[in-house]
Amino acid sequence: MQRIEEIIEMFQSADYQETLALLIDYSEDLPELPERFVENRDNGFNQVHECETPVFIFIEVQNDKVDIFADVPEESPTVRGLVSILVSAFDGATTSEIEEAPADLLMQLGLAQKLGIRRVRGLSAVYAMIKNEVKKQKAGS
Amino acid sequence: MAEYANPDVLVSTQWVADHIDDPNIVIVESDEDVLLYEIGHIKNAVKVDWQNELQDQLVRDYVGPEKFEKLMSEKGISNDATVVFYGDKSNWWACYALWTFKVLGHEKCLIMNGGRQKWVEEERELTKDVASREKTNYKVSKTDESIRAYRDDVSKHMAAGKPMIDVRSPKEYSGELLHMEAYPQEGALRGGHIPGAANVPWATAANEDGTFKSADELSDIYENQKGLKKGDDVVAYCRIGERSSHTWFVLKYLLGYESVRNYDGSWTEWGNLVKAPIEKP
Repeated sequence: MQRIEEIIEMFQSADYQETLALLIDYSEDLPELPERFVENRDNGFNQVHECETPVFIFIEVQNDKVDIFADVPEESPTVRGLVSILVSAFDGATTSEIEEAPADLLMQLGLAQKLGIRRVRGLSAVYAMIKNEVKKQKAGS
Repeated sequence: MAEYANPDVLVSTQWVADHIDDPNIVIVESDEDVLLYEIGHIKNAVKVDWQNELQDQLVRDYVGPEKFEKLMSEKGISNDATVVFYGDKSNWWACYALWTFKVLGHEKCLIMNGGRQKWVEEERELTKDVASREKTNYKVSKTDESIRAYRDDVSKHMAAGKPMIDVRSPKEYSGELLHMEAYPQEGALRGGHIPGAANVPWATAANEDGTFKSADELSDIYENQKGLKKGDDVVAYCRIGERSSHTWFVLKYLLGYESVRNYDGSWTEWGNLVKAPIEKP
């Protein structure tokens, strides 16, 4: 797990080309969706409907530890890269770390200015979904 | 079967493959997804990003002639080069880039029919090597505002009862949604459409494989079903003017309407404009 502060700092200090290169790395590093989620994905469960690209997020909370799994098509490298940033930052975190993560995280990453608002807006939906799902599962446990 | 009014504005993937090394042809990739070019593009293609390169970063406008000259010179595109655009999403962004190039006065602009999707589906070669073209000394001699409509033009157009095509989704057209589904931050304060506009979602003009529908199909959609007549003066709009540039291309070149303008202010301007008339069913 990468610390969110480190990721923010890295993106803030990156120029435009470096940002693209970082996003490609993140896009390539997104782990494959584990087999046990594939059926649910194929049946359309856990899709982030606010995203135009088919994005699926699966969250598991066990003993206060959060595991995040995501699926984004390779033909959408930007969205894949963006989702991968969140997975990298929050997979393996504790529930309170996720609850306390900054509300304006996406603004802090500064990606809207570099890539254009319409390219990053789906990410706020993914971020909100992760936070809500963690809260829900924590309350239910 | 009827042919397109200007069949020469479209080239096939095979044509592009045959002209990859032609020095007078510049292949330009323009995508919504900003990384697609980086993960692989057609050999010798240069990237033009609508967000960072064609739009002004401060004022809501496109770059002016000076910045465009600089951009074109750096990309290695000369005034007499034939530019072939292609991109993702059925060439949606390629058409937007083409329209912007036309506004800024670039003459020879073509579209690779089917765009990136068709090229990839045909398993044609992609490369990560960034093309290096010799810099040029590009000069804008005249811009072409005749293909761009501003809000006052649209008001007059509406008052005259001339045809308009609203290319947004049916729910945006009806006013049920204030923004495109999944795009909440490009909204407007009011929902509905410009009075008199007919609704033809932009993708109606595209086939599953990203190519344009045939001339007969397009004529059926816009003329038989929506009542456009040859010789009509038409305005197309959407939310920010990019989807409507796809329809602008279809009407202008494929169906051959002489006078068709893209209203790039579109609904994010009209739906926020004080006292602008709105029709809502």
